[in-house]
Amino acid sequence: MMWGYGGNVLVVDLSTGEGKKIPLDEKLASKYLGGDGFGAYYMNTMMDASVDALSPDNILVIAPGLFTATPIPTAGKTAFFAKSPLTNGWNESVMGGRIGVAMKQAGYDVLIIKGRAEKMSYLLIRNNEIAVKNAEHLKGETTRKTAEEIKKDEGDVVVASIGIAGEKMVKYACIDCEERQAGRGGIGAVMGSKNLKAIAIFGSNDIEMAKPEKAYELMAKYYEIMINHPSFEDDGKYGTGEFLEWMNKERGTFPTRNWREGVFDERKEIDPYYWAPKYAIKNKACIQCVKPCGKAFVLQKFEGMLDGVEYETLYSLGSNCGVASIEHVAKANELCDLYGMDTISTGGAIGFIMDLYENGIVGKEEVGVDARFGNGEAMLELIEKIARREGIGDVLAEGVKKAAEKIGNDAEKYAVHVRGMEPPAYDVRGIKGMALAFMTSPRGACHLRSGAYALELTGKFWKFEGVDRFSSKNKGNEIASMENFMAVYDALGVCKFSRGIFLLNFDEMLDAITGKPLSEGQLEKIGERIHNLKHIFNLKAGWKKEDAKLPHKVHQPIPEGVSKGSYVSVEEEREMLEDYFQARGWDRNGIPTRKKLEELEIEEFMK
Amino acid sequence: MYVRAIPEKCSGCEVCEVVCSMKHFNVVNRYKSGIRIEKKSVVEDIPHVCSHGNLCNFECIDACNFDALKKENGIVVVIYDNCVGCRLCEKACPLNAIWIHEKKAYKCDLCGGEPECVKYCSQNALEVVA
Repeated sequence: MMWGYGGNVLVVDLSTGEGKKIPLDEKLASKYLGGDGFGAYYMNTMMDASVDALSPDNILVIAPGLFTATPIPTAGKTAFFAKSPLTNGWNESVMGGRIGVAMKQAGYDVLIIKGRAEKMSYLLIRNNEIAVKNAEHLKGETTRKTAEEIKKDEGDVVVASIGIAGEKMVKYACIDCEERQAGRGGIGAVMGSKNLKAIAIFGSNDIEMAKPEKAYELMAKYYEIMINHPSFEDDGKYGTGEFLEWMNKERGTFPTRNWREGVFDERKEIDPYYWAPKYAIKNKACIQCVKPCGKAFVLQKFEGMLDGVEYETLYSLGSNCGVASIEHVAKANELCDLYGMDTISTGGAIGFIMDLYENGIVGKEEVGVDARFGNGEAMLELIEKIARREGIGDVLAEGVKKAAEKIGNDAEKYAVHVRGMEPPAYDVRGIKGMALAFMTSPRGACHLRSGAYALELTGKFWKFEGVDRFSSKNKGNEIASMENFMAVYDALGVCKFSRGIFLLNFDEMLDAITGKPLSEGQLEKIGERIHNLKHIFNLKAGWKKEDAKLPHKVHQPIPEGVSKGSYVSVEEEREMLEDYFQARGWDRNGIPTRKKLEELEIEEFMK
Repeated sequence: MYVRAIPEKCSGCEVCEVVCSMKHFNVVNRYKSGIRIEKKSVVEDIPHVCSHGNLCNFECIDACNFDALKKENGIVVVIYDNCVGCRLCEKACPLNAIWIHEKKAYKCDLCGGEPECVKYCSQNALEVVA
C-alpha cells in the first residue's frame, strides 16, 4: 500500500483514444515524491526534448503534489508540464484548482497525454473509465462556458479547460480549472495543439494515509498557527497585492510602463487597499487553503466577475501598461481568464507594443488602436486581437521575443524577457539575486522557481540573512538553494505562501501521510535532483549558456524612487551566472558534472 | 441544533469536506463527507449541510422505505445496516444535504455536538445554531 498516493500513472494517447494504466513505482515515488518530481522524471523519459512544442510528439503531464488530497493545510496544488512553445524549453505551471484532488481520488498520481485528437475533443476520466469525447460544439467557447457545458453533460466532474487562445495556440495560452490557472509558458497552447479542449475528471476513491490520526492532529496544529498568524487578517483582506504600496514606495521595484520605471505613480486605484473594500465581495481559495488570497471581484462599470486581481496582474495589466483604472485592469484579467491567456505574458506583450508605439517604432496603422501607455480601452482591444490572432494580435501572440524579431527596427531593445518568457512583477534591477533567478529558472523569467524575491527584498529567510539586494555577490548559492527548496514545495503540492511557516520541516507530515519521514537535508537533495532534471531537459532541448541572459532594459538604471540608479551590468550578470554554476556543481558552460549527477543518482538521464 | 452555512463567506476551499471524511472515516474523500460545497460560479460557493429538521420537514425520513433514517435526540442519523442506497432520500432532501456514495447514504451527524467543519472553517462561513 502506498499511503497518500492515488497509486497509478495513466497514459492517454489522443491519436488512438486509448488509455493505459500503470501502477506507480514505489522506488520512483521515494526518489521524486510527487508533483514536480514526477513531472521532471516523466518529461525526461516519455518524450524527446528536441521535438516541436506544438507537435503531437510533445506531451502534457499533469501531477498533483504528494500532499494534495490530504488534510495538510494549503496543500492542494497540481502541476502541469509540457515543452513550452514560448521558450522552447522546460515548462511547468502550478495551479490551485481541484483537478489534482479528483485525479488522485480517481487513482492517478500522474496523467500523461500524448498524440493529437483528430477533432476537437475532451478527455473524460471516471475512476477506471476513460473516454475521448467530441468537443466540436465547444470550439471558440470560453474556459468558463466550456466547464459549464461539460458539467451539464457529465454531471459531477472537475474540469480543466482552454479558451480560444489555447485553440489558436497563442504561445502563452493557459489552462483554467475553477477560475484558477496553470498560467505560464503556453501550457494551454499545447492542449490546443492536441485538439484537447478540456479534461474532465470524476474520482471517488479514498485517499488513505499511513497515520490518519496524526495527519489530523497536524492539520489542526497548523490550522491554528495559520489563522493566528499576525498576517492572517491583512492577507485575507487584501490578497497577494497587499504589498503593492511597499513594493513601490519602500523598494522602488514595481516594474512600470514596460520596465521604464520601477515606481508606478498612478497606483492609487490598483492597490487592493483601495479596491478590495469596494469590489471584493468575499475571499476565494485554492483547494484546501485556510488563508485564501483570492478575491471574488464583481465589476461595476463593466459587466463581469473574476477570482482576482492578483499582485502579478496588477503589474502586468496595470502598471506595465500604465493603466491606472482598476475596472480596466480587472476586466482585462477576466478576459484573459475567459480566453485562457496568461495575464503576465499578455501584459508583457501589450506593454511592449505600447512602448514601441510611443517610441514611433510602430504606428496606429499597424497596431490598429491608439496604444498609448495608460489607454485601458486599447489594452482591452489588444487582448481581443491577441486571443483571436487578429492583426497585430497575431504578432503579439508569439510573445515579445519573436514579436520583436518580426517587427525589427531595434524592437528587441524593448522586448523584456528571459529565454522568451515575459517576467513577473519584480524589477530585478534593484533585486539582483532575482535577476540571477530569472536567468537560471528552468522556464525563463520566473519568480516562483526560487521565490527568492521575498528573501532579497527583506534581507532574510530560512538559512540566509543580511542579504543585500543591490549586491551581485554571493548570489549563486542563495538562488540554487532556494530553487531546491521550492522544488520540494512543488513536489509536495504545498502553497509557497506557507513557506515561512513550514520551511522544510515536513518530516512529521511525511510520516503521517506516507509513513516515510524525510529530514530537511534529504528533502533538499530531492529538490536538487528535481531541479537538475529540469535543466537536463533544457540541455536536451538545446539550451545554451548564452541564452541565460537579461534583457536590455535590465542593463539601464532605474530612473527614480528608492532604487534609483540601480541596474545589473553585463559583467555582474556573467559573474552571478558563473557563481551559480559553481554552486550547482556544474561546469563553466552550465553542464552538470558526472560527479554531481552520480551524487543525485540521475546519471542515466545524461549520456 | 444544526450547522448553518453562510455562502456569502464561503471561499470554496473544501477544508470542511476533508475534515469531515477524515473525522468519520480516516480517509480523504468528499463523497464520504456530510457537508459538500457546490461551486456554482466564481462568486457563488454554496455549502450544503443537513439542518436536522430546522429548515426542512424531515423529507428524507419520510422518503425512506427501509427505516434507514431516523431522528435521535434531534439529529437525523443513518442506520447503515438498513440503507440500500436507493437514493430516495437524496431526491427528497430540499437542501441537497444527503448523498449516496457506493450504495450508502452520507450526511451530517453533528460530530456528537461539536462539528469539526465549523471548527476548521477559516472564513467563519459555518456556524452552529443551537
